[in-house]
Amino acid sequence: MSKLMLGIIDATTYKEEMKDLTFNRSIAAVPFAGRYRLIDFVLSNMVNSGIESVAIFPKYQYRSLMDHLGSGKNWDLNRKRDGLFFFPSPDLPVPQIGSFQHFQQHIDYFLRSSQKYALICNSYTVCNMDYEAILQRHIENKCDITQIRHQGKSLNMFILETSLLLELISTQQQTGYQSIIDVVHDPTNQLTICDYEYSGYVAVIDSIESYFLHSLELLRPNIWKQLFLKSRPIYTKVKDEPPTRYMNGSNVKNSMIANGCIIEGHVENSIIFRSVKIGKGTVIKNSIIMQKSQIGDQCQLNNVIIDKDVRISDGTHLFGTKEQPFVIQKGTMQGALMNS
Amino acid sequence: MIRKKCVAMLLAGGKGSRLNSLTKNLAKPAVPFGGKYRIIDFTLSNCTNSGIDTVGVLTQYQPLELNTYIGIGSAWDLDRKNGGVTVLPPYAESSEVRWYKGTANAIYQHLNYLKQYDPEYVLILSGDHIYKMNYSEMLEYHIEKKADVTISVIEVPWEEASRFGIMNTNEEMEIIEFEEKPVHPKNNLASMGIYIFKWSILKEFLEIDNCNPESSHDFGKDVIPLLIEKKKRLVAYPFKGYWKDVGTVKSLWEANMDLLVEEPSLDLFDHFWRIYSVNPNEPPQYIAPSADVKESLVNEGCIIEGKVEKSVLFQGVYIGQETTIKHSVIMPNTVIGENVYLEKVIVPPNMEIPNGTVIYAREQDDVILVTEELLENLKGREGGQR
Repeated sequence: MSKLMLGIIDATTYKEEMKDLTFNRSIAAVPFAGRYRLIDFVLSNMVNSGIESVAIFPKYQYRSLMDHLGSGKNWDLNRKRDGLFFFPSPDLPVPQIGSFQHFQQHIDYFLRSSQKYALICNSYTVCNMDYEAILQRHIENKCDITQIRHQGKSLNMFILETSLLLELISTQQQTGYQSIIDVVHDPTNQLTICDYEYSGYVAVIDSIESYFLHSLELLRPNIWKQLFLKSRPIYTKVKDEPPTRYMNGSNVKNSMIANGCIIEGHVENSIIFRSVKIGKGTVIKNSIIMQKSQIGDQCQLNNVIIDKDVRISDGTHLFGTKEQPFVIQKGTMQGALMNS
Repeated sequence: MIRKKCVAMLLAGGKGSRLNSLTKNLAKPAVPFGGKYRIIDFTLSNCTNSGIDTVGVLTQYQPLELNTYIGIGSAWDLDRKNGGVTVLPPYAESSEVRWYKGTANAIYQHLNYLKQYDPEYVLILSGDHIYKMNYSEMLEYHIEKKADVTISVIEVPWEEASRFGIMNTNEEMEIIEFEEKPVHPKNNLASMGIYIFKWSILKEFLEIDNCNPESSHDFGKDVIPLLIEKKKRLVAYPFKGYWKDVGTVKSLWEANMDLLVEEPSLDLFDHFWRIYSVNPNEPPQYIAPSADVKESLVNEGCIIEGKVEKSVLFQGVYIGQETTIKHSVIMPNTVIGENVYLEKVIVPPNMEIPNGTVIYAREQDDVILVTEELLENLKGREGGQR
């Protein structure tokens, strides 16, 4: 039934609070949970809900996002009919999610699509949600717009008829609505706005703090079990990494480890991405180490986020706090002396 | 069809009957290896890494899982507009299905596939071995030596030479004699079952072999001796590096354990010679607070709550609390309960090992392949020991 629905991912958001992780990438492309990017969750949810046409509207730094998504093959979206579409509009000012001006620039996509309904989502909400069930409810309750909420707060996810969306886009001058959010916030319009309360696990990643908190939260089995379901897998770009090697002297507790790592040290309460090396005698606690970073021997790391391709030389000590993790930017080197 | 310089023919029809229950419903090349791979991944990845983009895969026994796995070859970047991977099953004619009578007959049945590409050279491979090899270097050697046929050989320990097909060569590395499993070997260069043929020679000799009713239609037994007899130029290509036939439960176990030594001679972490495979969509592995993992290879989707030592764990394996796994290979999606002790065993895919099971090999050289039957037998006994 969701073949009737377009998936629209608004990846235009920029959050100042995330800037240490978004110098070279959009929030949608921020690495998460050991082997994913944030956008994988919403994209996989759409595909698992039967959506076959997905349009992504990016704005800032979308090189790494495009590299990640490619032809859409990993999400089964490399299709002759429908599939994955990419609509950047770097010059437009984007006030908030679901910008009509942004959609207007690519109106042909909406005009050419035959799907009756459209689902508009942001790119940084981590969950495993079945949109098919929500669409069902939307139709049954004869709603004009369904807004998905979690614990009362809007998740910036909306379902509406494509024809209504087209009408809202084309009448934006007269109505003054700049985005879908303006529409649901206006109590005076004649539309039936429904709320759908989603009770499953949701993590909204909009700051370093929430990134850190929700990442480490994944180490609780009752949480990752809600996110990684065998029947509704989260897809991502495939890397041909070998299995992870645990060496003599490795000691890993309560951690999530991706493939291709070589671990010789101690790792506790941490998330380790693909192809990370952790040296002898090194102790890593409550930290996130992103792909291809190399941590030398005899290092001590606690409450640290290490971005991609970082080298930490032997004997380095790095400490952040739970509230303010120490973030090391992509591609940098960190030595023992630099920090003292 | 655009002409190809070199086309590979991969013999993947082996029954692998010495792998017992592992190959009951599975062709040998599809047997899992190394925590995430299947045996055939090594040969297919070698092809891609050597720049060979046209590969015919000859299947026969239990082909379903193997065919599904190969698909259109995208995992190895072999989904090409021109060439790519083609699965070649035995021909079914209106009157009968003609099973492959031997390795040479298998290729003979698919001469039409080769004719399409009209290559200069044909590389013949088997899907039964674990190794990394640059076939383009072997091809250069073949061209340089002006050979009709080049056969890749590896030095084996003299005391084991009588288990292999041995090539007797002169100083020029020309093959003057081939002996299948000689009782008194004169040389220790074993054939690796990798041949490069001049296409014209291959065509000619397969036609001759096919007409010979006495022949068993096998490369080693029939075609190579015939080529030597007819004074064709056969050259041995010496290969150095890791190469292992994983034809038995023991050798499959050994090859897995070879990956766990301090510096394995087969490097899976070499980014310049990646081993490609169909990647399952599994989340990262979760190592619980109660777990202890040492000197092991662990793949994505595993959940480990127990102790794992010197073992290889494939994707989606669960290891329960108070369980110890030592020197073992646990294949995909197997669930191992609590208080289990396994040592020196191979557990096939998708098995469930109940709580409290104890299985270990008694004899120094034994490796136990866990089967449903074995588990059934253990049920009645106290402690479930073997």
